[in-house]
Amino acid sequence: MAILETRALNKWFGGLHVTGGVDFALQRGEIHCLIGPNGAGKSTLFRLILGEHLPTSGQILYEGNDITKAKSFERIRRGISVKFQVPGIFKALSVRQNLQIALQHHCPPAELDGEIDRLLEFLKLTEARHQLAGNLSHGQKQWLEIGMAVGLKPRLLLLDEPTAGMTPDETAATGEMVQALNRDGVTVLAVEHDMAFVRQIAHKVTVLHFGKIFAQGTINEIVADERVAAIYLGDATHA
Amino acid sequence: MTVLFSIFSFLYQTGDAFAFLVLSACGLAIIFGMMGVINLAHGEFIMCGAYVCAAAARAGLPLPIAILAGALAAGFAGMVIERIIIRPLYDRPLDTIVATWGVSMVVTQGTLILLGSTMPGTGTPFGSFTVGPYSYSVYRVVLMVAALGTLGLLWVGFTKTRFGVLARATIQVPHIAQALGVNTGLVYSLTFGLGAALAGLAGGLYAPTMTLVPTMGSAFVVEAFVTVVVGGADIFLGTAPAALVLGAVKASLTSWQGQLAGQIGLLVAVIIVIRILPRGISGWILRERT
Amino acid sequence: MQGTNSLMKTLGLLQGPQTLGKGKPFWSAFTLVVALACAYPLFADGYDVGNNVYFFNWAFMALGLSLIWGYGGTLSFGQTAFFGVAGYTYGVISINFGDAYGLTIFALVASVAAAALLAAALGYFLFFGRISGVFLGIVTLSVTLVLERFMAQTAGPEWRVGAARLNGYNGMGGMPSLTIPWFGSDIVLFPDVQLYYFTLALLIACYLGLRILVNSRFGNVLVAIRENPQRAEMLGYDIRVYQLVTFIIGSALAGLSGVLYTSWGNYITPASMGMTAAALPIVWVAVGGRSDLTTTLIGAMLVLAGFQALTIHGSQYALVVMGALLVLTVLIAPRGLVFGLGTLVAGLVNRKPKRQGE
Repeated sequence: MAILETRALNKWFGGLHVTGGVDFALQRGEIHCLIGPNGAGKSTLFRLILGEHLPTSGQILYEGNDITKAKSFERIRRGISVKFQVPGIFKALSVRQNLQIALQHHCPPAELDGEIDRLLEFLKLTEARHQLAGNLSHGQKQWLEIGMAVGLKPRLLLLDEPTAGMTPDETAATGEMVQALNRDGVTVLAVEHDMAFVRQIAHKVTVLHFGKIFAQGTINEIVADERVAAIYLGDATHA
Repeated sequence: MTVLFSIFSFLYQTGDAFAFLVLSACGLAIIFGMMGVINLAHGEFIMCGAYVCAAAARAGLPLPIAILAGALAAGFAGMVIERIIIRPLYDRPLDTIVATWGVSMVVTQGTLILLGSTMPGTGTPFGSFTVGPYSYSVYRVVLMVAALGTLGLLWVGFTKTRFGVLARATIQVPHIAQALGVNTGLVYSLTFGLGAALAGLAGGLYAPTMTLVPTMGSAFVVEAFVTVVVGGADIFLGTAPAALVLGAVKASLTSWQGQLAGQIGLLVAVIIVIRILPRGISGWILRERT
Repeated sequence: MQGTNSLMKTLGLLQGPQTLGKGKPFWSAFTLVVALACAYPLFADGYDVGNNVYFFNWAFMALGLSLIWGYGGTLSFGQTAFFGVAGYTYGVISINFGDAYGLTIFALVASVAAAALLAAALGYFLFFGRISGVFLGIVTLSVTLVLERFMAQTAGPEWRVGAARLNGYNGMGGMPSLTIPWFGSDIVLFPDVQLYYFTLALLIACYLGLRILVNSRFGNVLVAIRENPQRAEMLGYDIRVYQLVTFIIGSALAGLSGVLYTSWGNYITPASMGMTAAALPIVWVAVGGRSDLTTTLIGAMLVLAGFQALTIHGSQYALVVMGALLVLTVLIAPRGLVFGLGTLVAGLVNRKPKRQGE
């Protein structure tokens, strides 16, 4: 059953048609990667799902309910969670406080401290818990934000280029983190450029091109698809 | 006939309010558009322009020259303040706003100490004309023409000069100037100077119509603020249309309930408008372009 | 048992990540300051004591602004609007109903509520319209300036509410002082020792209450919104509601200042909502260090004392000095002069007993 579905989703910015009638379904329990050349509409699709933009036309369904017009925070409360591309953390607050803010909304007060400690452990940030989040290394910031996103106990986790700027080791560790979450029942939708990372985690891959779904399948099918190679090649020559 | 007289009266009132709003706001809007900063010393630049204009006129200079002198003096003061206070704060726009408020306090009180609580004015030139039962000030019509003329000159400046093109680019895409490798220091200095000079121009133009006191700037700032809030950063797509709409609102409220109702109504209208159009009129015209 | 437990929990929030000062050194110093403040009337005559309540009157507005601006990151340049509205409301109610039966206390509560109501209405349009920082500042400033203009033109005899003349630019006077009903005879809070203790108690209660608030879950979310509103929203918080509630609380405090000031001097004028009046709270809070309640309070007291000293000696330069102080603070110590000193001291104190406070 689809946890998230978009129906004929259109978004115009002024005269620019950014997503063109996207029909997209995300199955419960899968790790799904969204790839495509720059400007393909990946970020816009994310923002539409999160409610940061409202679609010009079309529908978004989450767990069978229409959330097309819901406010962002309402979507989060229904069990969607996001990790942004640029680490969205509270820089002037301590690591521990960052997690506390993420958890306090739904976690019973008595269990809060234990839950934060458990999460710090999972993120390998126990040592750094009293540091200001702004002073962490780039990879640690990414993990902290993943931790905040995960702390909400989401059923659907959106990741916008989770490994951007990470070392290969950090990337691999992040992949394992995502897989561990998925085993606990979290559905994952990730925008990602790093094909090695996509290969590591993706059950299914969707290629967006000019705001439309261009191809869909397993990573092997996508890699074998000559048309996909062509648009990436085209992109490379344009860039 | 009476209907026609009333229509003319309303148009005159709207034009008068439009001129006041445009002239009050355009300096503020340019600085806001280019630098993302609201200059809270805006009213003091207006006061500076008015004082210099009045002094020059009483010293015997013809009024147009005196007005220009006021604008130039304010522009120069703006560039000096930009150099000393604004420049170290480029990457802290919110702090810049607070700092300009400090400047405003110093200037208002400093003027009071140095020049006393009022300054002799120049008297309104040109007299009046009558249409039907009502009498109108000729100088107010001059002010309307001046407002349109200012918009026209800014339009030419912003489309035909290198500085103007750059300025427009910066207003629409913040930080583009840095990306293009332009000397932002110079651009910002010119912007602040231009904004201050436009404020001074407003002061100079209105100097013959009002009492000159150190706090006179605050008579302009509310109108300037609300016009920029509604209009957004773009002078031609935002400030001018906003001034027209707000001018009509103010004129109808004023003719209905008096001067103060005009001001209060303006503010209430603005607060309601921002609930509906949070990004202002220009944000709405350029809707979701980013 | 449950009750005491949650009380202890609440008191535990008196110190936390959002407030400077914790542990024995801070609370000893706090107790000492409170003791000195309590002892002060014993060494001074009633007239001076009553005059010095003036400083406390403003502290509530400063604390409220610290909450809104320092903690919430919302630029509110028009706190004086709430000060003035509450002050005038107090005047109107107390002139009409008098000071018997504790009615001035009712007037106080109603006036603060009026300020809160105005803040709720204004804040609804601003926050739910998603107004960004700068615009919020100038809209709130415009509100206070328009209120000033409005009150300034109420000189005519037609501007009256019941027995209360608004009196235009000259201001409204003759309202009774706050009066506490008491067995035997009422305690009238003239500017004297009683008023001093009343205001001091109120100030301590507000200060401690705000400390608890900013260290609570609410405060956590508040600073999170200041740091990164998008992330806060994407953690499921309706940031508009948090900002609105903060704005209402801070504005109610400004209203409290307005009532106390009006009752203290039996007088309020439109100028209390003007450009200069609006700028002064910004100076107090910015100079002290807006992002902390304690530094805000200390800063406000120091700046007010300096301002008072300058004006008493007849100097017109007081406002020039205030403006220059504001510019210098922004240029030199953007987080506040007192705040800078405070973190320095805290750093020195905490260095020796390492990893004591977890």
